[in-house]
Amino acid sequence: MAATIRPLGLSAEQPAEDRPKRDELVRVYVWELPVRAVHWLIFFSMIVLSVTGYYLHNPFFIVRGQAAFTLATMRFIHEVTAFVFSMAFVVRIYWFFVGNVYARWKAFVPVTRRQRRGLREMLKYYLFLRWVAPQEVGHNPLAAGMYLLVYLLFLVQILTGFALYEWVLGTEPLRTMFGWLPRLINIQYLRETHYFLMFISFAFTIHHVYSALLVAIEEANGLMGSIFSGHKFVPAKVVEQDAAEIEQDAAPNGEPAK
Amino acid sequence: MFQFDSDLPSALERRGISRRTFLGFCAAMTATLALPPRFIPRVQAALEGADRPILIWREFQDCAGNTESLLRSSHPAIADIVLELFSLEYHETVMAGAGKQAEAAMEKVIQEQKGKYLAVIEGAIPMGQGGVFCTVGGRTALDIARQVCSNAAATIAVGACAWDGGLVRGAPNPTEAVGVQEAVPGIKVVNLGGCPHNAANTVAVLVHYLTFKELPALDQYGRPLFAYGNIIHDQCERRAHYDAGRFVEEWGDEGHRKGWCLYKMGCKGPQTNYNCPRVGWNDGTSWPVKSGHGCIGCAGPRFWDTMDPFYNRLPNVPGFGADVTAGQVGLGITAATALAFGAHGVASAVRAQVRPKEAVEKPDANKLPAETPAIQATEEKPE
Repeated sequence: MAATIRPLGLSAEQPAEDRPKRDELVRVYVWELPVRAVHWLIFFSMIVLSVTGYYLHNPFFIVRGQAAFTLATMRFIHEVTAFVFSMAFVVRIYWFFVGNVYARWKAFVPVTRRQRRGLREMLKYYLFLRWVAPQEVGHNPLAAGMYLLVYLLFLVQILTGFALYEWVLGTEPLRTMFGWLPRLINIQYLRETHYFLMFISFAFTIHHVYSALLVAIEEANGLMGSIFSGHKFVPAKVVEQDAAEIEQDAAPNGEPAK
Repeated sequence: MFQFDSDLPSALERRGISRRTFLGFCAAMTATLALPPRFIPRVQAALEGADRPILIWREFQDCAGNTESLLRSSHPAIADIVLELFSLEYHETVMAGAGKQAEAAMEKVIQEQKGKYLAVIEGAIPMGQGGVFCTVGGRTALDIARQVCSNAAATIAVGACAWDGGLVRGAPNPTEAVGVQEAVPGIKVVNLGGCPHNAANTVAVLVHYLTFKELPALDQYGRPLFAYGNIIHDQCERRAHYDAGRFVEEWGDEGHRKGWCLYKMGCKGPQTNYNCPRVGWNDGTSWPVKSGHGCIGCAGPRFWDTMDPFYNRLPNVPGFGADVTAGQVGLGITAATALAFGAHGVASAVRAQVRPKEAVEKPDANKLPAETPAIQATEEKPE
């Protein structure tokens, strides 16, 4: 396990004198290509979906002329983008199970002692009870917990969105897949939920960008660049400790693997 | 009781309905049922050969609007033909008999024609306090419905109230009203939602029953697919304006005068399954959207509660005032988040300025004074 996440320059075979010093920054490959691809697919599709979706709720400009086809075009773009978004979501869920240790589902459920401690310390940092943010190689557990809620929000958006789509289309296989939803919850409430959660996703985006900037500046770990390159810069000792702790978590009875 | 000694054509002739009108009716019913024209002779033959099946029409918590919708059609054909096609043994609004005699006539039908007659139910059925909120001839609506519907070949629930409680069930629903299918579970029922039902659809169901000896295909709500298979929005004559993005912004504005889409005025056409635009009302003269008013979704499930407010796109947000929309609440949350993190950003900048040097150099012991032990103090350092 540990070998897969140990970054270049920290491998055990390397002679001790060549290995980086404890405070030296090392380059760690954290976000694999699918994680970054999904991130940017979701980024762009959220922008498109929000603009077109808001237009569908409230067509805020009117095009004059006989050949206008504005709303139908918006709706078409919204629906096509919705498929892109949903597929990106599906890929990410798949990557929960096959990705590296920073992308696995276990990183997002703060249940281990290490995660709970990290969550507590990060919360203290946000509440100004710590001077410096605790350093993590992957997601800090507080952020990871938030992402789990965001994935839940995405899931609700996908379900309600496809239920609305099915309501119009009324064909298989969407009818079997999503037709049960309007029978449980009236279509008007599904529509309202779908619309309202857009604003929650705005609020999340504000938080997400702010927190990423904050941590990137405070820790100087290249966090902003990492979503493009996949690499973060973390002190060697943090990487070592992280690897050891993950190894310990992965061990069957909590003992560090020899 | 009036005896029918002649067949349908001569009975219609006595009423002054020409054969041409009758064939027109057959064609209209075939079209309403979404059947191809080659079924017209079959429908015609079935109606002419029908042995006047018995209808029992019961009204409970209703306004008689569905009865009116059927009987007041300016074009005489539908009501007249239905009255000649069926033997209407009980109908409070149109029957000549009254009181105990009328009830006895119904009892007789239920005894003698058990499993053969058709029941039509109009209005909701109150379940609260044993159903005392609606009684006819000393019996509760629930009691009557149980007897009439469970002995019928099939039940036709006409109007929103009979389908799922409709207006009567609207919050706070003091009488605990429900529709027929909930009041008498397990019966064979066709729901014809809408406030009121469209007489053309209801008669088409009857014609389907006479022609094919079975009820039409139903959707998940027990409504016939020929009438409720498509959303109004997809059949609307103003749809082109919707697709183009041309909307009525306020009543009487340029767009309203030009007949643009009523989506922004709260039209519920995109939510509602019904065939209004195709069948129309008042013998196909018009329907709400055609006359310039948005659809209120009267054919949708629990429309009185769920389609409210009629002039807004979305329902009110629970817990907020009547004038607060989901968008306003959402924007408020977004703005509050932006403000909160903006303030946090300023505070973080200040923290970065006042942060003691040793806290940065020794992040293992970077707590503020008088805090719990440093995070890694209790941890074993892995080597």
